Amino acid sequence: MSTVEQRKVVDSRGSFCPGPITDLFKAYRSAQLGDVIELLATDPAAKADVTAWAQKSGNELLDIVDEQGYLRIIVKVTKKRG
Amino acid sequence: MQRVVVVGSGDGGTFTANLLASELRDEIRGGLASVQLIGEHLKHPFQPGNLDIAFKGADPKNYVKDETDLLRKGVDFIQDPAVKIDCAARAVTTKSGRILGYEFLVIATGAVADPSRVPGLAEGSMNFHTGEKDSRKIWEAIQSFGGGTVVVAIAGTPHKCPPSPNEAAFMLDEFFRKRGVRENVTIRFLTPYPRPYPAEKISKVVEPMFHEKGIEVSTFFNVDAVDPVAKKIYSLEGDTFDYDLLIAVPPHHGADVVVNSGIGDEDGYVPTDRGTMKVAGQEGVYCIGDATNIPVSKSGVVAHLQSVVVAHNIVCEIEKSHDLLEYNGRINCPMEVGHHRAIFVSATYSSPPTDQSPSLVKYYMKRSFAMIYWRALNGSLERMFDVFFGQTRFPIRDGPEREKQVIPVNAQVRGEKKSA
Repeated sequence: MSTVEQRKVVDSRGSFCPGPITDLFKAYRSAQLGDVIELLATDPAAKADVTAWAQKSGNELLDIVDEQGYLRIIVKVTKKRG
Repeated sequence: MQRVVVVGSGDGGTFTANLLASELRDEIRGGLASVQLIGEHLKHPFQPGNLDIAFKGADPKNYVKDETDLLRKGVDFIQDPAVKIDCAARAVTTKSGRILGYEFLVIATGAVADPSRVPGLAEGSMNFHTGEKDSRKIWEAIQSFGGGTVVVAIAGTPHKCPPSPNEAAFMLDEFFRKRGVRENVTIRFLTPYPRPYPAEKISKVVEPMFHEKGIEVSTFFNVDAVDPVAKKIYSLEGDTFDYDLLIAVPPHHGADVVVNSGIGDEDGYVPTDRGTMKVAGQEGVYCIGDATNIPVSKSGVVAHLQSVVVAHNIVCEIEKSHDLLEYNGRINCPMEVGHHRAIFVSATYSSPPTDQSPSLVKYYMKRSFAMIYWRALNGSLERMFDVFFGQTRFPIRDGPEREKQVIPVNAQVRGEKKSA
C-alpha cells in the first residue's frame, strides 16, 4: 500500500505578523498527518512564532533555512485532531 | 457617459459613492457621469456598536440609520443586491435581474461572518459579528449568568475588527465585576495567535492587563469543533476546554456575489493591489475594505481610508490625469480595555504598532467615533481625519515594486504530490 505525502508551499513573503503564522494555520487546517508545509516568510518574527507553535502543539519543525532575503520554515504535521 | 457602479452599501461603499458624487457633481448634473450604489439593506448599522449592545446593553436603535439619509445628492441608491459581477462584459446583475453596465466598478461587498464553517459553532456559541440581534442575545445571556466559565474564542482568521475579541474579554470582566459576581466567573480567552494580541507591542500592553484581571489565556488554539451538548471546544492542536457560555468570533469569508462571480480567492476575497486598490488583471475595477485579500485589518477605518484613494483615482482616470494615489496601509483600531480606558492599534504597511498606555482620552475618542460616524460617511470630516490619521496615502510609484503588491488568486498555498 502506498502512502501519499503532500508538500505544500505557503508563500507569506511581504506579509507581517500575524500574516505568516496565519497562513501556516490555514495550510495546517487542510493538511493530513505526515504532510509537510514549507512556509516562506520575510518577517523575522515568523521564526520564533512557528518554533513556539510546533513546540506547544507537538508538530515537528524539520528545518529553518535562511534563504536570500527570506526564511524557509519547514514543518511536518505530526499532530492534529481528527 | 462615465458610469460608476459601487457594489455594497456598508461603510466603504457608502463613503466612496458620496465622495464620487461630490467630486463628479458637475458631470452628474450635466448627464456626463453617474454614481450608482447597489446594496441589500435600507438600514445601515454602525457595526462597532455591536460590542456595546452585547456587553453594555446599549439600544440597537442608537446604531442604525436609513441608508438614503446618508447619501449625497447625485448617488442613485439601488436596493437590490448584486448577484453577479461580469468584469469581461463590464456589467453587474442584481437579484431582480437588472443589469447595470459600468465604466468603473468599486467592489465593497465586505466579509461575511459564518459560524456554520466550524462544526457545532452555530449551535454552541454566541457572537457579536453577525448583527445586532445576535449581539443582544449575549447581553441577555450574561445578565442571568450566575457563575461558571465564559470562553471567548477566535474561531477563524482573518476577521472583522481585530481588537474586538480582546475587547469582549475586557468588557465581560468589567460587566461581571459591576454585577458583583466576578469571583464566580472564569473568563478564558482562546486565540490561534502566539500571544493575546497578534501584534507583539500591543500584546505587551494587553497581556499584563489580562493577568491583572484574571483573564486566562490559551494561545495557539485553532478552533476545530464545538460540542454544544457536552459544552466543549476543541482545537486542531488537540486541546479541549469546557465552557458554560461560549462567545466566539466566527470564521469569515468573502461575499457570495464575489464567490459566484469567480473573482475571489479560495476564501472569497478579491485579489487587490494594496496601494492603488485596483483589482488584479482588471481595468477600471477597484476593491476596498473587508472584501479585499490584502493582509491588513478588516475595519471601517481601513475601508474609509481606502475609499479616499479609490474615489480620487477614479476621478483621475475619468479626467485622464496621472496624479494617482496609493494607500499606505494605515490602520487605526481602537481597543476598549474596560473601566473607561482604551488604546489605539495604529500602523502602516511599513511601520508596525508601537508601545502605548491605555488612557481615558483614548476611551472618549473611541466613544466619539460612534457619534461622528454618520457625518464621516458624507465626507464632511475629511480635513479633521487628515490631521488625526496623518499620512494615509501618497503619490503613486511606478516601476518593478508595483509588481509585488498584488497577491494573485490561489498563489499563497500551492500543493504538490511529493511521492506516492
